[in-house]
Amino acid sequence: MDYLSFAMDAARRLGADYADIRIQRTQTEMLYLRNLSLKHCNLDELYGYGIRVFKNGAWGFAHNTVFSEEAIEKTVKTAFNIATQSARVAHGTGLTLAHERGYIDTFRSPFSIDPFDIPFAEKIELMREVNQTMLRYNDIKVATFMLECRKDEKLFASTLDSRLDITTVYIEPNFTATAVTAEDSQSRSFREGGHAKGWEWIRSLNLVDKARHVAQEAIMKVHADSLGAEERRTLLLDPIHMSLTMHESVGHPTELDRVLGWEADFAGISFATPEKLRSFQYGSPIVNFVADNTLADGLASAGYDDDGVPNQKWYIVKDGILNEYGTTRATAPFIGQQMSRGCNRATHYYDFPINRIPNLYLEPGKEPLSPNELIADTKDGVLIEGQGSFSIDQHRVNFQFGGDMFWEIKDGKKVRPLKKIIYRSNNPEFWNSVDAICDERYFRTFGVSNCGKGQPGQRGRMTHGGALARFRNIRVGGSQ
Amino acid sequence: MMQYKDAILKAADYIRAHTSADDFTINGGYNNELHTRFAQNGITQHISGTKTWLSLSVAFGAQTGAAEVNELSEEALKNLIKRAETMAHMNQPDPEFVASEQARDIPKINNYSDATASLSLEDVVSGIQRCVANARGKDARVSGISQRFYGGHCIQTKNGFSGWDDHSTFSHSMTMKRDDVETKVSGSVKDFTTFDMTAMINRLNEQFDALSSPVQHHTGRMPVILRPAAVLDWLWYLMWMYQRRMADDGLSPYSGQIGNEFFGKRFTLRSSIDDAELSTPPFSDNAIVARNINWVNKGVIEEMRVDRDYAKLAGIPANYQANLIVDGGETSEAEMMKMVDNGIIVNRLWYIRSVDQKRGEMTGLTRDGVLYFEDGAVKRAVTNFRWNEIFYDMTRRILALGPSMLIENNARVPAMLIDGFNFVDVTTF
Repeated sequence: MDYLSFAMDAARRLGADYADIRIQRTQTEMLYLRNLSLKHCNLDELYGYGIRVFKNGAWGFAHNTVFSEEAIEKTVKTAFNIATQSARVAHGTGLTLAHERGYIDTFRSPFSIDPFDIPFAEKIELMREVNQTMLRYNDIKVATFMLECRKDEKLFASTLDSRLDITTVYIEPNFTATAVTAEDSQSRSFREGGHAKGWEWIRSLNLVDKARHVAQEAIMKVHADSLGAEERRTLLLDPIHMSLTMHESVGHPTELDRVLGWEADFAGISFATPEKLRSFQYGSPIVNFVADNTLADGLASAGYDDDGVPNQKWYIVKDGILNEYGTTRATAPFIGQQMSRGCNRATHYYDFPINRIPNLYLEPGKEPLSPNELIADTKDGVLIEGQGSFSIDQHRVNFQFGGDMFWEIKDGKKVRPLKKIIYRSNNPEFWNSVDAICDERYFRTFGVSNCGKGQPGQRGRMTHGGALARFRNIRVGGSQ
Repeated sequence: MMQYKDAILKAADYIRAHTSADDFTINGGYNNELHTRFAQNGITQHISGTKTWLSLSVAFGAQTGAAEVNELSEEALKNLIKRAETMAHMNQPDPEFVASEQARDIPKINNYSDATASLSLEDVVSGIQRCVANARGKDARVSGISQRFYGGHCIQTKNGFSGWDDHSTFSHSMTMKRDDVETKVSGSVKDFTTFDMTAMINRLNEQFDALSSPVQHHTGRMPVILRPAAVLDWLWYLMWMYQRRMADDGLSPYSGQIGNEFFGKRFTLRSSIDDAELSTPPFSDNAIVARNINWVNKGVIEEMRVDRDYAKLAGIPANYQANLIVDGGETSEAEMMKMVDNGIIVNRLWYIRSVDQKRGEMTGLTRDGVLYFEDGAVKRAVTNFRWNEIFYDMTRRILALGPSMLIENNARVPAMLIDGFNFVDVTTF
């Protein structure tokens, strides 16, 4: 049975202005090992479909797990009825949708070895070896390993005659060693984020070697000093750390739904309002933020978004100036755009697609510059690696970040480890303080797989990246 | 709703009959949901549907595996059993393995209301229409969400535990904004007949009318009145770290503090199965039965959160945070303002994160309306702050408590007047 056509025909018969259906099967394997005890081992499968109907400038959405003509027709009618009711409290004179056409296409994440084809025993064996490696150090009292593998198989059809067959995969390994002394406890983690790659990526990582490194740095960190009171200092931020900073302070503020106030009650709004487009100095002239949903192993790369809009690449910030937003078919018309940038994504079949951050990265520096050269060029500063505490206000202006590992830089050298370091800044002070970015040889990506947004909450995913960058004159100090 | 309950119980019977595992836990349920989201005075998103789920955890000896599906066909159940059992066979023995829960007396708690379950799409939209009309009357814009849920949750184990809980919830949240004035109210109930939209709109209007264009205030330690919603915001994060295992492993500030007066004397935090207004699931997802718990009694730590694994390892009872209650006092906000020379009133807290787990230091911001008061009266609205605080230490600085109020359907908390709250930065709005 061609349920896709059946659903779209039913929507047309009812008089929908637009409709689409997403049939989605999501497989998630989540394994969590703590001190060699497997605390969580789940292989979950969610399968169903969601139908969106657009009528009189308003949306209706209904979902179901029963695949029959009767159930699908009922679900279409429910979505249609909801859209009709929603139109009673229309947004302005009603929403409009940006122009789009239909596509017939397939997309598959670029993986060689499907992580779901790897025997569970092999995964557990690797996780135990990593755990044991970290626990061999006496000061390491807690060792954890979280491994997530996910596959989404999606069939999409719309009344624009789109037919899309999309399969995406990602893997995310995270492990942490915690060193405990009588006075303190400190952790160090291996976190590269999620990558839309196959198991071949895991095999290339040498995780056991990395486990030794993580354990050694956790011990180093627990015995390290902190800094005193907050002072204006130079910061060097590695790409993994910076991925979180750009996610919070560039990615979210440039989601157009937030700019329009659609998230006002929960996630918040944005200071980066439309009158600032193409004039606001978001960062220094060497700061270029690229939105790229065509990025090879990007978590937001899926060929098309859940509006059926093709993946694209564009500048969010160009030469330091706010250039564009991430948009959807429903949000783009509010700023006069004829076409969407394709940022509408849902997590599961039962989720309504929402305006999401695209894959977003800081373009590497154009002049040759290595991390060692950048450190050598820094007289006095703090190098932060990895991700730690993070908190930002609901307009995305004021923020405070920690990190995973900290090093004091003196006279061009890493002189000692530090701990409990935080920095505070705001948009645009922070990105305007960038005076050096390492070149493309040192570009690294980090896939965010747990971006919480929306009501009901959804867990979105996208990839960020960059190369080691230097920020001048930022408020940095020890906590409290 | 009976059709879903019957289908889930029938699926559980099928699993019991077909699994070959030495031990198992079946966890299943359904939720019928209606989510109506509105923004800038119009509905932007509107979702309806029923979700079902069935998870199976199995053990062969101490080798465990688990799987979950969201459909209940025979084919799906066969796959569920196969996946969980295959995983267990390929697993290695868990050194902290705990057998499934035995039969227990489960407290009889009514978490379900027909009035909530029968709430129609048209009723929900009409409620939102009132909120939008109110906002338009103030030349403002309102954004928020109305949500209606009803469903059921079951657990069955090989060792005899068997429970079913019917539940329902209606929740409504809204933020009203005009220029640089914005504020929010929210609440949830299990019985829609106890929900009062008029009272909520009035509360929103009162908060809104008290605000004006905010001006920046200085940072530093100063007295603060945290309104109940703000108190609840930090309590969730307190409980997240309030784990006995973390304390015993030396990872939190609560290490070695059981039985000690570690919090302030005015602070009592508990969970109760006797509060009829609160939604109280009678058992947790891993079959821990809800009971009355004093987490903190007049500053003394009596219990911390303990899961079944650690309960066995440490030889202590497991527990379950079914709801949260902070005992209140009788001090009104007007009286609190007179107790100190000046201070700050905070409606809500936002983006709370750990800064130093061992010390218990957290950071966050204020949100949705901040006021400066002096000589017993509100003087002006001020811009938002960033704060860094240690929650247990903060409770030692509680000067007064308001009456404990139902804030969400699972929490009852008071306003607090706290001395020396640590504001470390200001925002531009």
